[in-house]
Amino acid sequence: MARKPGKQQSKSLQPFYIILGAVAVVGAVVVLWQTRGGGSAAMDPVPVVISQEELSRVQGISIGRDDAPVVIYEFADFQCPGCGQFASFTSPLIKERLVETGRVRFVYYDFPLTQMHQHAFLASRAARCANDQERFWDYHDVLYGRQPTWSSMGNATGYFIDLAAELGLDEGEFSACLRSDRHQEEISRNMQLGQMLGVSGTPTLFINMKRLGGIPSFAELEQIVEAEMGGAPAEPAAAQP
Amino acid sequence: MSYLPDGEEAAEPPLSRMLLVVVALVGIFVAGYLTLHRFGFIGSLQCGVVGGCETVQASAYAFFPPRTVTENGVSVALIGLMGYLTIFGVGLAGLQPRFVRSRAIAVALALLSGAGTVFSLWLTYVEAAILEAWCQWCVVSAVLITVIFLLSLPGLRSGGGAQPSPIR
Repeated sequence: MARKPGKQQSKSLQPFYIILGAVAVVGAVVVLWQTRGGGSAAMDPVPVVISQEELSRVQGISIGRDDAPVVIYEFADFQCPGCGQFASFTSPLIKERLVETGRVRFVYYDFPLTQMHQHAFLASRAARCANDQERFWDYHDVLYGRQPTWSSMGNATGYFIDLAAELGLDEGEFSACLRSDRHQEEISRNMQLGQMLGVSGTPTLFINMKRLGGIPSFAELEQIVEAEMGGAPAEPAAAQP
Repeated sequence: MSYLPDGEEAAEPPLSRMLLVVVALVGIFVAGYLTLHRFGFIGSLQCGVVGGCETVQASAYAFFPPRTVTENGVSVALIGLMGYLTIFGVGLAGLQPRFVRSRAIAVALALLSGAGTVFSLWLTYVEAAILEAWCQWCVVSAVLITVIFLLSLPGLRSGGGAQPSPIR
């Protein structure tokens, strides 16, 4: 008696369906793992070796109490969209709930990815020119906020000067700074420090000189800060001055 | 009961088509990951010293037609996901006894994956020449769709690409 071809083929496809099922399971697990932030291990801080003396030779832009128990260092690129998202959604919470409560000092280091972002180095210099007039953080916020506009420009110098004027900075002084090579060496030193600390992408965060393996949400960041402080509970946001 | 129309020989499902379906499934997950990122279910990506997935994903070319042309473009990641899902479905149907030797299925798979390959080539050109940034996931997807296209070619040579097997 002839065997039924349909059943015969179903049997011959069985190993294929098993492989297909295995690929489906592995794929679903990987995507799920990514949607949950890459797993807790990806966020686990990795200690880096650097002395305070080496660190103090390179100037970052700092906000918060000098004696804060936790220091967060951010290496960022003004033209990087990931840094833009972090600056828009996470940084304001860090400032409001961690810096202003005295728990954290936040230090910004420049790490412009010049190979792929043509205006990143100029933007870093512009922000440092704003820092000369003690308006770094305002300029930082507006640079990230308008990132999609200036990123696609052929020449962003005029736009950066207009932004400074809009913020009420001394336009002449800012323009002279931006058109000079002031801060160039400082930013290069920032980049060298980042490379020494193993920064390979932006934003990269360090908490008390431990490097984080991904971009944390504010909740994850707050947890790490609390762990660094020895489990001190978070103060309610309403109690902030 | 036979799954075959009367008078037709049973055919072994071709290995190339089985591989095509597995690769299309991998493509579904790659394009699915990028689509989840596009719609905000996955947090921001780091800008890398090598590679620039975030730069590519945030560009006007993450939509088709690109946002340099119109604001009403569809997410390229979503187009990719739909494409892989279609190829997966057609490929899976093409493994069933009724369709394993179907010329229409073979042509459909070659056309779908061929169109996908051409689209990926254009996106790769955009990454290299316009954005000067590389998204590793987009590169993986370009490789996958090219492999799928190559795997669809044997089917064109011999209908569904299946070898008739004698009924023992």
